[in-house]
Amino acid sequence: MPAMTYAQVEETVLKTLRPASLKYWAVVSLLFIGILIGAGCWAYQIAMGIGVGGHNIPVVWGTYLINFVFWVGIAHSGTLISAILYLFRAGWRNPIARAAETMTVFAVCIAGLFPFIHLGRVWMVYYMLPYPNERNLWPNFQSPLVFDVVAISTYLTVSSLFWYTGMLPDLATVRDRASGLRKKIYQIASLGWTGRYEQWRHYTRAYLFFAALATPLVISVHSVVSWDFALGIIPGWHSTIFAPYFVAGAIHSGLAMVLTLMIPLRRIFRYEAIITEDILDNIAKTIIFTGLIVGYAYMVEYFLAWYSHNIVEQESFRWRAFGDYSLQFWIMVICNSVVPLLFFFRKVRRSIPWLFFISLLINIGMWFERFVIIIGGAAHDFMPNAWGLYSPSLIEYAIMLGSFSLFFFLFLLFVKHLPSISMTELKEGIHQGGGHGR
Amino acid sequence: MAAEKKVMALFENDTRAASAIEGLAGSPWKLEQVHSPIPSSKILSVLKVKKSRVGYFTLAGGIIGFLSGISLAMYSGIQWNLVTSGKPVIALIPFLIVGFEFTVLFAVFGNVLGFLLQTNLPEFKSLQDYDERCSGEHFGILASCAEGQQEALLAFFQEKGGEARFL
Repeated sequence: MPAMTYAQVEETVLKTLRPASLKYWAVVSLLFIGILIGAGCWAYQIAMGIGVGGHNIPVVWGTYLINFVFWVGIAHSGTLISAILYLFRAGWRNPIARAAETMTVFAVCIAGLFPFIHLGRVWMVYYMLPYPNERNLWPNFQSPLVFDVVAISTYLTVSSLFWYTGMLPDLATVRDRASGLRKKIYQIASLGWTGRYEQWRHYTRAYLFFAALATPLVISVHSVVSWDFALGIIPGWHSTIFAPYFVAGAIHSGLAMVLTLMIPLRRIFRYEAIITEDILDNIAKTIIFTGLIVGYAYMVEYFLAWYSHNIVEQESFRWRAFGDYSLQFWIMVICNSVVPLLFFFRKVRRSIPWLFFISLLINIGMWFERFVIIIGGAAHDFMPNAWGLYSPSLIEYAIMLGSFSLFFFLFLLFVKHLPSISMTELKEGIHQGGGHGR
Repeated sequence: MAAEKKVMALFENDTRAASAIEGLAGSPWKLEQVHSPIPSSKILSVLKVKKSRVGYFTLAGGIIGFLSGISLAMYSGIQWNLVTSGKPVIALIPFLIVGFEFTVLFAVFGNVLGFLLQTNLPEFKSLQDYDERCSGEHFGILASCAEGQQEALLAFFQEKGGEARFL
């Protein structure tokens, strides 16, 4: 396919910022209703107490923690695509990097809400902060839960700054084509960027450092999330493979969510010339890789349980596959490890409906992976008299609905008000003679 | 002293823009500014600019962050002086994780601060001598000259393949 010109890139991207249709606002309104339902149920929980959720002893970590880990996982691919592939100079990242970074920022915000929701008495949230107090009660910095507070806050701050800094040249482009109030807003948002050589000189350096710092951060954040479990002694959780296993799973789910978002975006905004089949093909190939790692981790967990000769660990894993939550377990295995193998077939990788369908299945599978780990571990630990089952309450389902609605709501607002594709990076790709997505 | 006159020239590619910048170096005219829609290595090399110093801010931020993270964790541990889970009050390995996260956080703060300080952003005055096409597909060069020489400067840019105009 011939490379696009700068003008074509600009026209295609700026076209998406034109006033939205009624259909768009109808979808936004529906999602807003979803948010209101979630917010209303959270308010109800605050008023009535955390007991309105389905979690109870022995399963005290329910969907709130599942969703927390799920959304943190989704957040990972944004930085992976943007930072790691930037360092590797993989040109195919350019057309999808902005949307993926945006996905990261929104997903981390939503993930960050769940510990608040799970707290019950949300007004006590400041207890997690290290502030001087007369009782000398400080957070325990040896606890992975406090690592989590530090890691997720850092990740949100770094991802947001990375996202915004990367968008400055594009905001200037939008400013230069806008008029009236919009021009003023974009003028302030672009901080007066004019593309002076001094600006580029420092920008390229700063962007490189951003990518270099964000890369180890991505790996650390989901490792820290995994230690929330691995540092506990619960069978099924207390495992040294958790950090790489969680990081691979996070990237796996994030890549699937990138496909879930980019495929409709590509169709609605006529981005076919920018987000080419080759790019989707590359994402699918990466999903094969992460899917194989995840599948390998599932097998290694079983091997460790068998090799350890630890009957509690063995029972925990037997129950996982054949016990009360076996359906969830097999959904997890099939959706995350078996279905992605279809991407070995070029025809599947080049078929948009298949790509979209498989990405949805992986999203579902990854949600169930967190279900199997969190609920499975807590429900079936050392002593049979302490075993118990869990099912989410309606309030939990509603809050989950609210979180998904909030994510898509924010994403929809983003695509109509900010450039959803990095025009600057596409132009750079064209300038270097590599096309815009190779 | 004669009043300065400014001429803005737009080029369709960075090769021509770089050639015009080189031509300006041996002329009586002064190069004021170069605008481009993308970072161009050709333009940066003819301008012979020094390496950005953003990295020093990033490094300083990282060092401050690491020390702050470790110190905060140690201070908190000492304040709540109780052995938990058999771990020492000052436990270096878990504190290194806190130190690492703070290193990245403060290094990024340093990075942003360095970037903003060195580029003088936010700054809106330079929008006056700016052509909006420079964020699209043109490479813009702003040069100044003494009054009476503007026609020669205009002709120079046109000869180099640029679209020039007085500001």
